[in-house]
Amino acid sequence: MTTVMQATMQKPATPLQTAGSVFEAWNALGFNARAHALVQAAQSLPEQPQKMALWQLANAQKKLAQTQTMPGPTGELNELSNLGRGCFLCLSLIDPSPIGQSPIDHSTEPSAIGLAGQIFTALVTGNPVITAGQVGQILMEAIAPFVAQGVIQHIADSELDATIEASPLAGIALLCDDAAAVNAFNMRLAAKDGLIAQLVAETNSATLSTIAQPHYALRFVTERTVSINTTAIGGNATLLELGSLNEE
Amino acid sequence: MKSLLFNAIDTLDPQFIQQAPQDLWALISPLYAVDEEQWLAQLLPLAKPSQAELNNSTTAATTLIASVRKDDNSVSMIDSLLLEYSLDTKEGILLMCLAEALMRVPDKATADAFIKDRLRVADWASHAQNSDSFFVNASTWGLLLTGKIVTMNENKDGTPGNLVGRMVNRVSEPVIRKAMNQAMKIMGHQFVLGRDIKEALSRGNSYRDKGYTYSFDMLGEAALTSDDAAKYLKAYQSAITAIGQDNASTRHSDTSLPTISIKLSALHPRYEVGCKARVMTELFATVKTLIIQARKLGVGITIDAEEADRLELSLALFEALYHDEAVRGWGLFGLVVQAYSKRALPVLAWIAALAQAQGDRIPIRLVKGAYWDSEIKLCQQRGIHGYPVYTRKESTDVAYLACAHFLLSEHVRAHIFPQFASHNAHTIATIQCLATQLGATNKAFEFQRLHGMGDALYDNVIKGVDVCVRIYAPVGSHKDLLPYLVRRLLENGANSSFVHRLIDASYPIEQLVHHPVTTLESRKSLTNPHIKLPTHLFDDRKNSFGPNIEIESDWTPFKAKIDAFMDTTPNNLVPSDSTQNKPAKQWRAYPIVGGQPVTTQPSNKEQSHTVLSPYDHQQCVGTVDWATATTVTQAIDLAAAAFPKWSATPATQRADCLDRMADLMEDNYPELMALCHREAGKTIQDSIDEVREAVDFCRYYAQQVRSHFAEPSHHQDFMGHTQIVQHIGCGVFACISPWNFPLAIFMGQVVAALAVGNTVVAKPAEQTSLIAARAVELLHSAGVPGDAVHLLPGDGATVGNAITRDTRIAGLAFTGSTGTAQLINRTLAARGVAPIPVIAETGGQNAMLVDSTSLPEQVVRDAMRSAFASAGQRCSALRVLFIQEDIADKVIPMIKGAMQEQTVGLPYLHSTDIGPVIDQKAQKMLLEHIEDMKKTGKLIAQSPLPKLAQQGTFVAPTAIEIDSIGQLSDEKFGPILHVIRYKAHELDGIIDTINNSGFGLTLGVHSRNETTCARIASRARVGNLYINRDQVGAVVGVQPFGGQGLSGTGPKAGGPHYLHRFTIEQTLRSSL
Repeated sequence: MTTVMQATMQKPATPLQTAGSVFEAWNALGFNARAHALVQAAQSLPEQPQKMALWQLANAQKKLAQTQTMPGPTGELNELSNLGRGCFLCLSLIDPSPIGQSPIDHSTEPSAIGLAGQIFTALVTGNPVITAGQVGQILMEAIAPFVAQGVIQHIADSELDATIEASPLAGIALLCDDAAAVNAFNMRLAAKDGLIAQLVAETNSATLSTIAQPHYALRFVTERTVSINTTAIGGNATLLELGSLNEE
Repeated sequence: MKSLLFNAIDTLDPQFIQQAPQDLWALISPLYAVDEEQWLAQLLPLAKPSQAELNNSTTAATTLIASVRKDDNSVSMIDSLLLEYSLDTKEGILLMCLAEALMRVPDKATADAFIKDRLRVADWASHAQNSDSFFVNASTWGLLLTGKIVTMNENKDGTPGNLVGRMVNRVSEPVIRKAMNQAMKIMGHQFVLGRDIKEALSRGNSYRDKGYTYSFDMLGEAALTSDDAAKYLKAYQSAITAIGQDNASTRHSDTSLPTISIKLSALHPRYEVGCKARVMTELFATVKTLIIQARKLGVGITIDAEEADRLELSLALFEALYHDEAVRGWGLFGLVVQAYSKRALPVLAWIAALAQAQGDRIPIRLVKGAYWDSEIKLCQQRGIHGYPVYTRKESTDVAYLACAHFLLSEHVRAHIFPQFASHNAHTIATIQCLATQLGATNKAFEFQRLHGMGDALYDNVIKGVDVCVRIYAPVGSHKDLLPYLVRRLLENGANSSFVHRLIDASYPIEQLVHHPVTTLESRKSLTNPHIKLPTHLFDDRKNSFGPNIEIESDWTPFKAKIDAFMDTTPNNLVPSDSTQNKPAKQWRAYPIVGGQPVTTQPSNKEQSHTVLSPYDHQQCVGTVDWATATTVTQAIDLAAAAFPKWSATPATQRADCLDRMADLMEDNYPELMALCHREAGKTIQDSIDEVREAVDFCRYYAQQVRSHFAEPSHHQDFMGHTQIVQHIGCGVFACISPWNFPLAIFMGQVVAALAVGNTVVAKPAEQTSLIAARAVELLHSAGVPGDAVHLLPGDGATVGNAITRDTRIAGLAFTGSTGTAQLINRTLAARGVAPIPVIAETGGQNAMLVDSTSLPEQVVRDAMRSAFASAGQRCSALRVLFIQEDIADKVIPMIKGAMQEQTVGLPYLHSTDIGPVIDQKAQKMLLEHIEDMKKTGKLIAQSPLPKLAQQGTFVAPTAIEIDSIGQLSDEKFGPILHVIRYKAHELDGIIDTINNSGFGLTLGVHSRNETTCARIASRARVGNLYINRDQVGAVVGVQPFGGQGLSGTGPKAGGPHYLHRFTIEQTLRSSL
């Protein structure tokens, strides 16, 4: 009987594992720092994808960056903030050009606009992104120099299935005009164990009726409430002040 | 506004206290949260001086303050500390935080980290910018850093800023720790008369020589366990013995012998209204033994004041003891009355009547009150209709003088010996004037002050007049001091406080001698506009109301209305046993489709189900007819057809329906609470919270719709074009809700969907359909059309499946287990139609992290509530308590002791803390888990089960110590707490473990170290993080609720993003 020695070499990290390892730091960076980096990244994009990217950044910043102080009883502090959900796979299925063609041109532009919208939104809200395809590659190359390694990754089409099946994938942002294909993605995600992965599908590449809506970024965040009992230490000094405050 | 049962001024009529005590008792409770404006208007005449009286008291107060300020010794070390680090500065608070926690931290690493944290966050140097306060400041730092007062020389030591900076930077944390501990001991020495009673008596001698006497207080907070209570009893007993011996041998006059003050909550682990039966027997017996001992030794006893909720309980116990033979004929058994309480005056009248009837004079210490801030906060949290205390400081001062007027009146003096506790020179001077005016001699009353405070003030008082001044002196170890110290400093350490201003020589005397009546009358309103009533807490919506079950006048009439629906007599047995004529209150539930009931013949056992109370399976609550697949289709047909019209209904009209629904639920509060008790097994407070949450959901979403969804909004699209965007409903929304919040979550989902224009088919949990049916009936009464919302009771296999397979379902809100959410999601995805919004709120493996800076008593209270309230059947409930090993041996026995004091029982009784679990399936699963855990872990404690537990599905609350969270596979939805010890340096690893579990719902943190809290907050992937409090009971619009990962999809219920997910954003127009 022979014994086969197990190789002690560690397997290379999967894209999802890589994303998982950078998620906490990217998420902790905060909206402003992420937006600052991404605005720079957007500069190299053609006009329309760039506009889309900058619009999403501004929108997300306006609607989601601020931590909101909630009203409530005295002696407690309640804050609501928005954080990334985890790794998003951003995919365009409307990219007609064969791999290796020129950068974004007329035929790839709708895909580039949509994908830029997805990727920049996913990133600015604190999620690492994995993308694929030719346009994905171009966007990844534009963004990668401005963010930490692993925050955006590009994978080969051959790796897509494994990535979709792996956990914990927070969601897929999909640009796809084919309703049947969208449903198929939906079923694949629903079939997975673990968390309910989000499918953020844009089914109208011509009008971008989902991506171009003002509250699109909400789909990429998870909210966090922090409730602090501020009277636990040293009593409710603020309230004591109110008790002797004059209205004049 | 309610009419009052008596006029305040009537109390000055000698006939008033001739009334029977029980008649006067009836006047107390209705004033609990009486309209402040109305009541103060009545009190003012009792406190209002004539011009001559005003002049007298102003002159007397001015003279007193001037002579205090002349006194070189008037500014003590503590005073100077207060002056610079007043508690309305950040640094003042931080200093107190450090003081409060440092001495109890057992491990050096945590103590050093804590010190570093405190020193880092404050701008200490800014306090040294003011050259006037430099020496005070420097002395303070000297005190804190070296443990003794050091004289600082500005030339030698450099600028103040440098000095403080250098001190902090050059000294390493261990050195600071040592110095801080030393400094805290010095502070303790200032505020504690002695570490034990002997030391206190000996240290008190010098003051007694000056003419003071004492009332000793044994330091300590409320007891949580019977061991704590026994410890305090022993302390009181030995103190009484020592004081008695000292009194016997004293060279001081026996007219002012030292007494002892007793805190009832320290002598019983459950000093609460709900445990009145225990209080009136067990605690009665305990206090009586102390009385017998004290009377024998000639040591007077004063019962200390507690929070407003316990006032009526304290009075009832006092009355019982006062009438006991142990007290009859004594005259030294007294109690404390708080003037900030709106009930103070009738309480005093009642006491006077008691004393008059029995003939034994009662000493009464009149204080202003020490729990003002927590009273206000508690009422705001519980939605009480008003406050038990006044909202202005000067109103409390007015009430104090009104009470003093009553106490010093001739007809009262014979029955009550008033003891005026105050550190306010104006109050003291005014009382002296009032006494003269009412003909009371200096022997007819006394003053009281706290040890370590008001020394200079009272030194001046007793210099001039022969009046007794008693010092309330804490006795105990320094580490028990801090909660007391912080409380005292808070009362007196704010910039605006009298004590603070008295010693601040720059503050003009004339500003300190304003009569509170003059000040209050000069206000635009008698109530404080800065402190909103609990029901007006929110600017844009009404807060839900909750009755206070601790208060007789609030709770008794409310309970009577619930009782009408309870009927727990034998009439209410299951139908087969029902032999008597009187029908019990029974509810019916059935599918409600198109506004019409779809009933089934009771003989159809497949479809018609009897509902039994979880706490007693002999009790029938009603019958539920389940929906069939056909009914489901009919409902969806109607809902789909109704969508265009409902969607086109103006959003404000839909919002109006929600507001009406909120009001209707409050109108039907008693019935809904009875349903919560009988169908869901919920306790009284849980049932109140349930209705409140449902009401809040309605009002919050109504307000959200009006503010954000009523009108189309304008946006710039990414090309710079102006877009007009409108949110519209998705279509037919399916709402599938759980049994654990059968009204709140059910309504929350349904009204959210309706509010933005969806029509709804709702499937409640099969265990709790009766309350859901009642809610849907109310919803229709509120104006929601019958075809816009349909109720489909039944199980998942038939009804749930039929709903989720229907291709017309355009969105789904689900709360329940993670596994069911996945199944539903798969069914929806398999329909072959476009993906729809799925909002799933699922389970958690919720943890609480406790480090060694935390306050163990608070940890135990919060952990117990988080783990066991609602029998642990909350998504947010605590499952795994991580305790830093350095304090585990202290905290775990406290948990064990506190669990022994919990009452498991019938949920509709006030005495019950924990009710049943929902059904036999849940019970079986939980009991099996407990058995498994007993094998792999170590049982800490199980709360006792009552005999009646066999009649229902009860599970004894259980705490088990385990080694790691890895021993737990999934969420166990019940009253089971797992406890894990951890080492301080393992904290990050624990956060990783929690994150890696995939669940992310709630997390509790108990730590005084803000750096630690911030680190946990930044790393833990949870939806709701709670710091230094319990982790259950999220409030709509205040703490939006929901998890991430395996715990849910979001958005959070009761939050600003929730309604968005029930809509589609539609571009109406786009233009260049």
